[in-house]
Amino acid sequence: MRLKKLDEVLTGEPVTDVVRTVSYRSELFGRPFIAGLQESLRGPSDWTVGERELFAAFVSSKNHCRY
Amino acid sequence: MRANLEQGGHTTDMSNRHATHVQRMVDAVLNGPGDTDSALRHDIEAQSAKLGGRLGSEVGEIPAELTAYVSKVALHAYKTLDEDIEALRNAGYSEDAIFEITLSAAIGAGQARLERGLAALKGASDAAQEA
Repeated sequence: MRLKKLDEVLTGEPVTDVVRTVSYRSELFGRPFIAGLQESLRGPSDWTVGERELFAAFVSSKNHCRY
Repeated sequence: MRANLEQGGHTTDMSNRHATHVQRMVDAVLNGPGDTDSALRHDIEAQSAKLGGRLGSEVGEIPAELTAYVSKVALHAYKTLDEDIEALRNAGYSEDAIFEITLSAAIGAGQARLERGLAALKGASDAAQEA
């Protein structure tokens, strides 16, 4: 299973579920998702990086997810 | 910020940039090669988005054994348990298929929220212009 191989490659380092989700079959989700994420959180914006991170953290909190 | 939102050209460029990224991601998840049919992924996305408040779109039927899981991912993904995955495995879905189903449901839920948020923003701007 590819996920197992991923874990083997990253042996010794804690692999978070987020990293696993965006790394597994990354052409299906991870790559385009990270590209959009980078643009939203770090790209040119009227909002500061800190403000955008705060929005993301707030939404994650509403979703009962750790951020 | 409100003033900046109403500066048309700048906002349009930014919106287009983000919309392009979102569209690429949606296309990859729903139309990329996978264990599940693209049509099923589209139906799951639509079902999930409907649960998230998307109005007026046609929603195809999804297999009965997926209904509860898709609802869970759409409405309260944090409640998902190993048992939910196991149930889908027992129903004959591969882990890759479950990955695709989960992503499609998540994309639908996210898209519905994005659409509602942008609509609210547009409504607010329109209301301000009318005042």
